[in-house]
Amino acid sequence: MNGKSIFRTKFDVASIVLIPACIGINYIGKLFASALKLPLWLDSIGTCLGACLGGPIIGGICGAANNLIYGLTTGDSITLIYALTSLFIGFFVGIMARAGFMKSFPKSIITALVAGAVAIVISTPLNIIFWGGQTGNVWGDAAFAAAQAASLPLWFSSLIDEIIVDVPDKIITLILTFIILKALPEKLTALYDASDEVERLD
Amino acid sequence: MAYIEIKNLKYRYPKTKDLALNGISLSIEKGSFTGIIGKNGSGKSTLASAIIGLVPQFYKGAYGGSVIVGGQDAATTPVSELSKSVGLVFQNPFNQLSGAKDRVYDEVCFGMQNFSIPPEEMRKRADSTLERLGIYEYRDRNPFDLSGGQMQRVAIASILVLQPDVLILDEPTSQLDPAGSEEVFSVVEDLRKSGITIIMIEQKIDKIASYSDSIILLDKGEVVASGTPSEVLSSTMLESHGVKAPAVTRIAKALSFRKPDSSYPVTVSEAKELMDGRLSFKEVQSTPSPKGNEVFRLENISFGYTPGHDVISDLNLSFDNRPTAIIGQNGAGKTTLAKLMKGLLKPGKGRILFKGKDTAEATVASLAFSIGYVFQNPDDQIFKPKVIDEVMFGPLNIGMNQKTAREKAMAALEMVRLGDKAERNPYDLDLHERKMVALSSVIAMAPDAIILDEPTIAQDDEGKAMIREIIGKLSEQGMLVVSILHDMDLVADSFERVIVMAGGKVLEDGNAREVFAASESLEKAGLELPHITALGKALGAESILLDENEFLESVVRV
Amino acid sequence: MKSISLYRDNGTWLCRVHPFTKLMYIAAAIIVPLLLGTLWAYAVAIALDIALLISGKSLKRARALIIFSFTIIATIFIIKGLFDADNLTPLFSIGSVVFYREGMMKALRTGCVIINMLLSFSILVLTTKPEDIADELERHGFSPRLSYVISSVFSIIPQMMGTMDTITDAQRSRGMETEGSLIKRMKAFIPLITPVVTSSLINTRERAIALEVRGFGGKGKRSYLKEWEKHRGDKPMTIILALIIVSAAVWRVATWLI
Repeated sequence: MNGKSIFRTKFDVASIVLIPACIGINYIGKLFASALKLPLWLDSIGTCLGACLGGPIIGGICGAANNLIYGLTTGDSITLIYALTSLFIGFFVGIMARAGFMKSFPKSIITALVAGAVAIVISTPLNIIFWGGQTGNVWGDAAFAAAQAASLPLWFSSLIDEIIVDVPDKIITLILTFIILKALPEKLTALYDASDEVERLD
Repeated sequence: MAYIEIKNLKYRYPKTKDLALNGISLSIEKGSFTGIIGKNGSGKSTLASAIIGLVPQFYKGAYGGSVIVGGQDAATTPVSELSKSVGLVFQNPFNQLSGAKDRVYDEVCFGMQNFSIPPEEMRKRADSTLERLGIYEYRDRNPFDLSGGQMQRVAIASILVLQPDVLILDEPTSQLDPAGSEEVFSVVEDLRKSGITIIMIEQKIDKIASYSDSIILLDKGEVVASGTPSEVLSSTMLESHGVKAPAVTRIAKALSFRKPDSSYPVTVSEAKELMDGRLSFKEVQSTPSPKGNEVFRLENISFGYTPGHDVISDLNLSFDNRPTAIIGQNGAGKTTLAKLMKGLLKPGKGRILFKGKDTAEATVASLAFSIGYVFQNPDDQIFKPKVIDEVMFGPLNIGMNQKTAREKAMAALEMVRLGDKAERNPYDLDLHERKMVALSSVIAMAPDAIILDEPTIAQDDEGKAMIREIIGKLSEQGMLVVSILHDMDLVADSFERVIVMAGGKVLEDGNAREVFAASESLEKAGLELPHITALGKALGAESILLDENEFLESVVRV
Repeated sequence: MKSISLYRDNGTWLCRVHPFTKLMYIAAAIIVPLLLGTLWAYAVAIALDIALLISGKSLKRARALIIFSFTIIATIFIIKGLFDADNLTPLFSIGSVVFYREGMMKALRTGCVIINMLLSFSILVLTTKPEDIADELERHGFSPRLSYVISSVFSIIPQMMGTMDTITDAQRSRGMETEGSLIKRMKAFIPLITPVVTSSLINTRERAIALEVRGFGGKGKRSYLKEWEKHRGDKPMTIILALIIVSAAVWRVATWLI
């Protein structure tokens, strides 16, 4: 697959309505995770699905729009800052999916690691700028405190904090995305990946 | 030239092998009412999509022939342009709302904004259309808070304000309750009189028969018959294409009452003209079916979703092995009752005994062994990528081993005639098939009692016949079948016991004949008679006639 | 229908201020202290936030929005005060635990940034209808597709939430357990979320059709049903806020150059 087709994006109505649906799925994922008392957020399944169906650009839009909309309306304005992280997760998952890395379970784990790496690279500096390096998660912050107490550099302590908090969540999220993607019917996926050409029958 | 001209239209959806439309040619005149009938999967909706250009522009795939609408080529004129001439209203009321507006009024104006209609004109059209469809009083409400019938009228209003030349109605009532359907049909009736060109796809054959100027019968993507309602519905090949003629026509045929043009009557008024005074009816006695062993006993049940507002109060009811239908309008408490029986809801007062044991002491998951519940919307449960795995989910959960679960699942799938689709993705099947998948996924668990919530919604005549058969089979196996139903024809000919509910109370409880004779209660519950029963009544029968056989046995031509 | 938006029209003037003016205020409240760099600038910004919320009768609801951040801020004080790399000057001690001045000052600054941000955003969030933001963006030249995405999120989520209970009931009816060990609960996640995901994605297909047949896909000019009633202060306020941001920036650059 060449570079051009990896970034190919349809901006038709079908792709536009995909975005709010994905944002909704993010929200529902979070609700079910807390209803089942799971120790994870699982609030980016929709972004990953959007990326796999619509490509990196739609994935990026889903991610960024997700945080911007929630941040500006539900009062969780902290989430605004992490719009950047969501944007890049959506974008890179989209690239991985287009490159065929959501086709099998082992490959989707590689995508998960990429998503985790993206989360770390983008979120750690944001954590340092806005939170002095912490994440607000008990376990992550405990590790952060320990690392600081051991006089490790701030960026390194913050990195450990972020890895503990985000990587397991991203791996599980991508595994779930993979399972859900497998269950999607052809008539739906055809809408996003069918060729634009209408074949003539006469 | 006709307003809509279709020539040799062929179409195939992407990633499928069979043609959905195969060489369709027809023309539709301005100002006419055209009915399109045919079983599920015959290509009706695809044809509608082709007229408004969604096929092929939205769905892509493979396309041949031509569709010309008011001089525009539907294959190439953008849908947003074509939609100025053609309006489309489809089944699901929820999905037709734009989803971007939180007031009915704004929702109705959404399309007009896209067409850049000046605000003054917008208000004028919105006001008059809302008024006309009887939903003006809801203009400030959130459209998602309305009932299905109201929502569907909002959808029709949103299209009408665009003032299209043609209105396509694609089974607009198939997902509504009887009251909602009536609301929509009265709007359709009013529109028909106004002279707008209407194309209506509909399973409710009696309605189509009385509205249409002409009817087109589709099967396997081909036009197999077209003509006046009498011509098409009198035709002997109708049933072989999966469509049942209206009750009136079936009876007239059996009694050989022909109209002067030798076709059969298709509406009750036509039939009355032809048969009034020429029939004599014998009295029919019901044979009371014996009570079986008690399965459920509900003692003094009260339940409310919010404290102080009981949906059900002081209900006493018991169920034995007879197949039982529960009928009544939405909001009558039917689904609440069913959920209480299943243990999904706990009664605020009173207790529910299942085979003598109090269900309050069991968890929902453990009740899964003995009581099955088939939800109305199959999409609320289907999650496996293969039909067979979906059907095996329940059996495996209740502890069956792989082998038994697979056997049970296959047997259940055979029962709903989906055995050949076991390896398919359930969401690639149509809604009516997905409903059957959900039904079989509960049958496979082999419960002692099964509760069905609206099994006939989205089913065509063949599907309804299959459900009738399944109810019979399950009863024979000793399973208690309790079904919430809106289809009175099915209630009349398949259930030994019928319970009428309204306002959380039981109004009538007896066999179908007793219940359909209680006209006062039926009116109170907002229910109609089965088609055959209504016909018998219109033609002067004293007794309640429940099905075609009974009708024909009790009547003689004089 | 239960909305996820926190907007309530409580009839105060703050609800009638144009969303863009509020956005401009947020920009000023966040950027100016950042440029000036002194703690008192944050104090002024926070005081302004609170004053506005009081006059808009929304302070109580704003408190609910920021209260969750207090525990995090507390841990920042502890960790920075105890372990920060720059710590030199002991400030106070509890038993043998010594808190340092440098770390505490850093924590104070972080705390101010967080509180200021939460408060200034809460002004917008509590007093502005999301659909209005979407409509106004569209009217000022943003794509109708963008405003569609924003508005429809608010209708789609309550719809999805509505199906959550039904799905849970349907799967429990088929013997699935939603309580018990972590593994059991993890296993329940897929049967619960897949139906919502699949049906909402399938619904998007029908919704796309509904939008197409109402001309949404068209590229032509659009008209609008209602005009925003301008608050008389909107224009001057926006200009003043913009001027404040610009002068803070100029001051910053000037102090660097000198």
